Amino acid sequence: MNAIRNFCIIAHIDHGKSTIADRLLERTGTITPREMKFNQVLDDMDLEQERGITIKLHAIQMHYAAKDGSSYTLNLIDTPGHVDFSYEVSRSLAACEGAILVVDASQGVEAQTISNLYLAIDAGLEIIPVINKIDLPSATIDAVKGQIRDLIGCRDDEIILASAKANIGIDEILEAVVGRIASPAGDPARPLRALIFDSVFDAYRGSVVYIRVVEGTLREGDRIMFFHTGKPFDAEEVGVLEMKRLRTGELAAGNVGYLIAGVRDVHDTKVGDTVTSAAHPAESALPGYKEVKPMVFSGVYPTNAEDFEDLRSAIAKLQLNDSSLVYQPETSTALGFGFRCGFLGLLHMEIVQERLEREYNQNIINTVPNVEYRVTRTGGDVVLVDNPSTMPPLGEVAMVEEPYVKAQIIVPVEYVGNIMKLCMDRRGVYRNTTYLDPTRADIAYDMPLSEIIFDFYDKLKSTSRGYASFDYDLLDFRESDLVKLDILLNGESVDAFSCIVHRDKAHDWGKKLCVKLRKLIPRQMFEVAIQAAIGSKVVARESISAMRKNVLAKCYGGDISRKRKLLEKQKEGKKRMKQVGRVEIPQEAFLAVLSMEDE
Amino acid sequence: MSSLYVHIPFCQRKCVYCDFYSIETVSLMGTFLDALDTEIALVGPVGEGVSFDTLFFGGGTPSLLAPSELERVMRSLRSAFAIRGDAEITLETNPGTVSLEKLRQYRSLGVNRLSIGIQSFDENELRFLGRIHDAAEASRCVGLAREAGYGNVSVDLIYSLPGQTVGEWERTLSTALALGPDHVSAYSLIVEDDTPLARMVSAKLVSPNPVEAEAVLYEHTMAVMERAGFEHYEVSSYARPGFRSLHNSAYWSHAGYLGFGPSAHSFWAQGNGGSQLRWANVPALSRYCGSLRKGELPVAMREEMTCAQLCNERIFLGLRSSGVDLRRLGDEFGLPADRLALAGALVEDGAAVMDRGTLRLTARGYMLCDEIAARMMV
Repeated sequence: MNAIRNFCIIAHIDHGKSTIADRLLERTGTITPREMKFNQVLDDMDLEQERGITIKLHAIQMHYAAKDGSSYTLNLIDTPGHVDFSYEVSRSLAACEGAILVVDASQGVEAQTISNLYLAIDAGLEIIPVINKIDLPSATIDAVKGQIRDLIGCRDDEIILASAKANIGIDEILEAVVGRIASPAGDPARPLRALIFDSVFDAYRGSVVYIRVVEGTLREGDRIMFFHTGKPFDAEEVGVLEMKRLRTGELAAGNVGYLIAGVRDVHDTKVGDTVTSAAHPAESALPGYKEVKPMVFSGVYPTNAEDFEDLRSAIAKLQLNDSSLVYQPETSTALGFGFRCGFLGLLHMEIVQERLEREYNQNIINTVPNVEYRVTRTGGDVVLVDNPSTMPPLGEVAMVEEPYVKAQIIVPVEYVGNIMKLCMDRRGVYRNTTYLDPTRADIAYDMPLSEIIFDFYDKLKSTSRGYASFDYDLLDFRESDLVKLDILLNGESVDAFSCIVHRDKAHDWGKKLCVKLRKLIPRQMFEVAIQAAIGSKVVARESISAMRKNVLAKCYGGDISRKRKLLEKQKEGKKRMKQVGRVEIPQEAFLAVLSMEDE
Repeated sequence: MSSLYVHIPFCQRKCVYCDFYSIETVSLMGTFLDALDTEIALVGPVGEGVSFDTLFFGGGTPSLLAPSELERVMRSLRSAFAIRGDAEITLETNPGTVSLEKLRQYRSLGVNRLSIGIQSFDENELRFLGRIHDAAEASRCVGLAREAGYGNVSVDLIYSLPGQTVGEWERTLSTALALGPDHVSAYSLIVEDDTPLARMVSAKLVSPNPVEAEAVLYEHTMAVMERAGFEHYEVSSYARPGFRSLHNSAYWSHAGYLGFGPSAHSFWAQGNGGSQLRWANVPALSRYCGSLRKGELPVAMREEMTCAQLCNERIFLGLRSSGVDLRRLGDEFGLPADRLALAGALVEDGAAVMDRGTLRLTARGYMLCDEIAARMMV
């Protein structure tokens, strides 16, 4: 056990976490450069490679012959960098004793560097600071050293200067992992306690659970039990994770590996849960288990109503790999049958949508995302509303509370004014500003989550020329003057356009939405009135005048086929529209409300 | 009701907007007529036992046929098909290609209806369209038709030329009406792909009228024609009572027809109770003649109609012309309930009237005919 080191790498997006991981794998001979088809081995989903973020975490074992002459087993546990997955991050951190903190030599400390660092410090990890990309001309090594010093209170000589691309500093990192990070504690003879920090679904084997054995020893054939579900299973296969699963038959305290126990439902193998022996269970579970709760909700509908069953099976399959996705069927008068899905955050939502489209070939329409509101009725009872259309009528609402987050924005000082204006527009409550160095400010706001799940990030980037970085953390629920805004087409409410907004913004939002819809809904055979209303009170109104003419007064002679084909094409176009009452609404209209920008 | 169509694929000069198949090499007429004879003879057995009610010579410019040439075609047709003695026989005629004598001879060969392609009485417009005649010649042609004894004369007009004002169109329309035609076809100028007009548009030499301008001109046409006592019985067709085109009505009522000549279309039921077929000849004279010299039919497209296609055709053809018999349609194909609701809404909106189960569009409905058709189709 003295020869084991468990560690992770934390970094802001694009600061080089994956390239550093690759170099470590190469240097330890875990993978040859030739095998390295892609330069980022740990990110094996298409999507991850494109986005440059690790979405699903993995672990890998390396063997390193250190300069002290001993051989060490290094378990690198990969962490998703994004706040949406902060619980998963915290669990994988809990499986480690140390963390390599990677900071880009040109970009310096960013919002995610800090949020992940705090999680690591909370978990009691030894931090090894690394400045990466030092060979770039734009590197400002001394400034970044200063930022890191201020942040973690280390000495300059503890900071490793590296360039994963140029293979600089890799040995130093490995030596620091061996020398500075403590070997794991834990008695292999005590009753089994192993932390689940991830699971993936294998179509043939069921759930493959990634674990860190904290105490005791796990052997194949053991009757085991998941603490929180209480369900017993037989350990069919136990091993470590190298480039592939390597069956070892047992895992002792301190080590990291996988367990296959014939579990068909990923919900039985929840991240954060403890694996113990069914025969001699440990007295208590490892600390820190919690149910992850979705924060962002959105309706997901098939583009063609006939594809509903297809979508259902695609979501079910996707969920096998992503236990944090929750969904339930819902119906919309405008969109038909679909699902209300709950996501950990915005990125998670985008990933799920993209995976449904790319991996499962679904054509979907997603509705405007919303948060979960806590609504107190006049009678005193409290309901949770995750879909605007289930909001109780105006007269029955005594109070509405919404989730607030602590938003942390790091930005060059010249953009502080822009950022503050943006946050104020989004109902932010200013907390404080600190300066990482004379050129960069760290601004904190309390903000309603609902205000940041909608195009906030894009705005943030555009108002700071891309320099601002941003992270958030859930604070609490706070009362707000919120109302449900409905969109009516010729008097009929289109549920997919309903949203819950702050009363002060309802008029403005309603106006924008009406104008947008006027541009997107084609002329119909009759005039269409577009209204935005709170309850029965209309706050904005637009209209689309009736179509004047749609007929080709042409001589076709006997060529009826041609005319028929033209009309069949028109007909196909109509099939792609959604109908509310007699009004046909093109799909772009549903998508366009997702990108409502001032025009 | 059964019909015959013969496509004469020659013009002295192609008009800028026309996308019907036609070439200017009139000297190939003899070659074409040889092939046409072969085609008629080959197809003849298909029409066995059927008597034909209408015959239409379209083009191109059928009035380029010398009377002797038309006589030869008529002889072939009559030997292959039973054409009723009272059949409507129409010949498309272009001003500038006929004399009184020629029209008389056509008449003696059985032609009893002339469809005169006038298009406009505005000299600038005629030049723009690429017509070979002027306004005076057009008027004279209608006079000659009457003098030659034709009791059924139709004129074709085109409106919505780029920048055309209501006043300009009004002058053409009233000039035409003053000539006392029995039938008027008024088409809106459509920019078709691969025409000189389309090239002028893409070179920004002309810009097509906006929909709003087209709408105003169309409304004006319908109002004027109604006042003049014409029945508006199809999107672009107006007839004095008793003078509807039987041939075109056959197209629109799903009657069978056999077409001859390059690019001609046919619609025919296969045997007794067999499936319905549409086919079309190659739109190229060389290939047309080549096939027939080998004794093969020059068919380029052939489709066996599905039930849905037939149903949809019935719907849009009916809507474009004198109505859809919803009850019959429902019996034959089964119609979704929401289509009946739509029909009800159309009547309520004044876009259609319901007459003993037949849904017929009003002037307002004709304006939106394609929209309505696309909604009604299954």
